[in-house]
Amino acid sequence: MTEATDLAERAGDRDPRIGLRAVAALRRLLEQLEAVQVRSARHQGWSWQEIAAELGVSRQAVHKKHGRQ
Amino acid sequence: MFERFTKDAREVVRGAVASCQEAGGGTVGPEHLLLALLDREASRGSFALAALGLPVENRQPVREALDEARRRAGLSRADTDALAGLGIDVTAIVSRIEEAHGVGAMSGDRPDRGRRSGRPAFGRDAKSVLETSLRIALAHRDRYIGDEHLLLALTARPGPPAEVLADHGVTHTSLTRVLYSEGEARAG
Repeated sequence: MTEATDLAERAGDRDPRIGLRAVAALRRLLEQLEAVQVRSARHQGWSWQEIAAELGVSRQAVHKKHGRQ
Repeated sequence: MFERFTKDAREVVRGAVASCQEAGGGTVGPEHLLLALLDREASRGSFALAALGLPVENRQPVREALDEARRRAGLSRADTDALAGLGIDVTAIVSRIEEAHGVGAMSGDRPDRGRRSGRPAFGRDAKSVLETSLRIALAHRDRYIGDEHLLLALTARPGPPAEVLADHGVTHTSLTRVLYSEGEARAG
């Protein structure tokens, strides 16, 4: 019986909602951080190619997402 | 569009630029519009806030909550708690970013165009609030855009201003009620 309660408690600790919420929040945080860093690099005269290389994505991808500023 | 702005609405726009500049930010966001709205007295927007339990002298907690939301990068408290569970301290990240890139750098807003003069520029989100206020005024057949329409517009879009206002009982629905259901009878 105690084992069952233990298990239930541990399952509660591993509530997927908390884990999923953390992932979603982390994604938003990541997007914001990326925007800040890309903007800063552009202000310092970096090319889209250079930024893309550091981010490990294609030049087109980074330009499409952050271009027009 | 601006010629239809009342004196109070223009004051809010001016005040938003000033509060952004004061904070050392480069982009005027919706949160700056709200800060400027909170400074208004004897306007339609101020009346609506007071009617919902936020008279001029009780607005400081709203300013503080807005500041706190900025330090959480606009994430909700539940979000930052979930991240803390992973060992990620959002406040620490925001303060480091702000040290290097200026206050409000994490707001996610961008200047509308590549303006780099000393004055803060209106961000896309703030512009969209102004546009929404026009639509709201039209929907209510108001011939002007007052600071109450700016307040309605702020509560009509997701984000820290709407969340912070909702925590204090000010939502799009409650605002519409105090501004229109009672006002119509009087204006009748």
